[in-house]
Amino acid sequence: MGSLTGLLFAGGLGFMLLAVASGLDFGAPPMLIGSEIQAHAPQQTGAANIVTSVVLGYRAIDTLGELSILFASAVSAGLVLGRRHTTAGTQTKGGFILQSGGSLLFPLMMTIGFYIIFHGHLTPGGGFQGGVILAAAFFLPLLARPGARLHHKSLSLIEGFAGASFILIGLFAMLEGKAFLQPMLIQDTLGQLVSAGTLPLLYLAVGLKVGAELASLLSRLIQTEAPQ
Amino acid sequence: MSTNLVLTIALPLLGAFLLPVLMRSSVAIALWSGPAILVYGCWTVAELWLSGFAQPLSIAIGGFAPPLGINLYVDSLALLFAFAVQLLGLVFWPFTLDQESARRQSLMLLLVAASTGLALSGDLFNLYVFYELAAVATFGLASASGSGAAYVATLRYLILSGIGSVLTLFGIALIYSQTGTLNLAHLAQLAPAQLNNSLGLTAFLAILIGIGVKAELFPVNTWVPEIYATASTRLSAFLAGLLSKLALLIILRLLLLIFHQPEAAQVILILGILGVISGELAAWRAKEMKRMLAFSSIGQLGMIFIAMALPDGKGMLAVLALALHHLIIKSGLFMLAEDWGGALERLRGSAKASPLGAVLFVLFSLSLVGMPPLPGFWAKFVLITELAAQVEPLYLLGLTVFLLATVVEASYLFRIAATLYSNPAPDTLSEEIPKSKGLSLATASLFGAGMIAVALLIAPVGDGLQAIAAQAQDVDLYITTVSPAVSGGSQ
Repeated sequence: MGSLTGLLFAGGLGFMLLAVASGLDFGAPPMLIGSEIQAHAPQQTGAANIVTSVVLGYRAIDTLGELSILFASAVSAGLVLGRRHTTAGTQTKGGFILQSGGSLLFPLMMTIGFYIIFHGHLTPGGGFQGGVILAAAFFLPLLARPGARLHHKSLSLIEGFAGASFILIGLFAMLEGKAFLQPMLIQDTLGQLVSAGTLPLLYLAVGLKVGAELASLLSRLIQTEAPQ
Repeated sequence: MSTNLVLTIALPLLGAFLLPVLMRSSVAIALWSGPAILVYGCWTVAELWLSGFAQPLSIAIGGFAPPLGINLYVDSLALLFAFAVQLLGLVFWPFTLDQESARRQSLMLLLVAASTGLALSGDLFNLYVFYELAAVATFGLASASGSGAAYVATLRYLILSGIGSVLTLFGIALIYSQTGTLNLAHLAQLAPAQLNNSLGLTAFLAILIGIGVKAELFPVNTWVPEIYATASTRLSAFLAGLLSKLALLIILRLLLLIFHQPEAAQVILILGILGVISGELAAWRAKEMKRMLAFSSIGQLGMIFIAMALPDGKGMLAVLALALHHLIIKSGLFMLAEDWGGALERLRGSAKASPLGAVLFVLFSLSLVGMPPLPGFWAKFVLITELAAQVEPLYLLGLTVFLLATVVEASYLFRIAATLYSNPAPDTLSEEIPKSKGLSLATASLFGAGMIAVALLIAPVGDGLQAIAAQAQDVDLYITTVSPAVSGGSQ
């Protein structure tokens, strides 16, 4: 009975989506706000990457909200996982190839992660993407040597201060008499590495926070794995 | 300074990020920083209110004038709810000191920040972000009690919320694909020309069902009884009292500003009636106080939805009055239920053990049912007169259901009251009778005092609510406040 109603519901929803989709005019989006932003973004934010100017400029508080959502889910996961018993199980180490491959890849992935973060205002990418790559760099040694522990204290320090600095940069603009999270210190160097004022700093904060959050989440998952 | 209002969102977030770090270095500072932030938040809102706040204002975040950037829209209604969020965050603050307290307090600060954002934001997608943040923070807080039942309840809540979020996002995407903007004021200008069609109605329904998950709307409220019965009472009180009202506030704003189709109001009316019927009947059968309160809150929110469905914003005052009344009463009742958990039969003789608690319960119940001198009477009276003035049969059906529900409400609430005042079963020891005591009783008394204050000052409170309702209904005022340059609205 339950599966039948589920099927009916899914069928109805699918039918509704099809009906809606048939009425949509694909390929011709109304560029009301979009064209405004395209015309003014480089002057108003100093970022050559228009996506970044939206993410960290026009809709910066959305980004702060998304950062908080990620933080809230990491904290919630910590609350749930923290109760389970920690067992230092005898997990087998990865083989020689996995271990040395992991050590070899670690610096390379760190470099790529930071490169993507630092160039977020110029090229596709940015804090979220770079942060995930940073976290992946920490996943490798954890997977190759399951007994190894990440330094939780320093990870939570990075996490806390990176998140706080995003807000503090926003408050700094208020101290200067501007609006909260208003882009500041915009230089006249569009397209250079040092440009777009505070936006790269915001992306650095995002990248560090995302990286530290995901890395500590994985290590917590490994540590609280149920005993065999 | 009006721009300081941004701090009521930014500072709780800052506190939430830093709390786990602070807790490692100094427990004392960490424990007091959360309440301190909330006290400052209360003071910021109150200061703006007291310094002669009359005209609504719009605060552009990031310095970009709306509709390009995101703005906070501050009218009396938003300010009232922002104050309620900060104050109730303080009242329901998780003061417990254990190794999880940093996490729990972080989540509470995130919930407060998100709720304040829901009250203030003037951008559709920004509202969605804060709605998500509030949802994720409540997942963590609801599972924090650590029992198996809490995990099961949270999982169900998570799945339902997830479906709701997807639907909301779908609705927002539809709106954006039709108009090309997300700013509420800008949408209010464009809506009559571009959203007054079946696509606009679909978008509204998707958002209604999605946001309705938190507003305990009829088909998507199955998470309510389980969560309220298993989560900590303070969280249940915050969710039932405040977060459901914020979800209502979003739906109300969307109805007033964007969706004027009669079908939208009809759907809300039908779902509201079904909510009242199902909620009140389930509450009547409940065998446990928290579950009864949970079901009764579904019924109460159904009544607010009925009020919301009245045409031409006639129900605005009733919505406000019922919502604020429910906020005070349900919070107080939940605080009483903190010590009165378990089967209802166990409560026999509790009135002797805790006379103040029993008196408060009776007072709250009387107001909830609608006894004349108490505020609940006036809230229900406004709705009844407005409903009776309608000629459409559906509204009269709503009126009938509403009156019958009041009878059912009286039946189950007074059944508890009778249990409280009856003699305990002969073989129970006096220590076994649950007592209402300590912090929870003090908090409940606070809400009781608030209710009595409103009852004494009913005339000025009524006038104030009327002014707030009139201001919130003024669509032109909303548009010109947010974007003075674009008034006229030709695209």
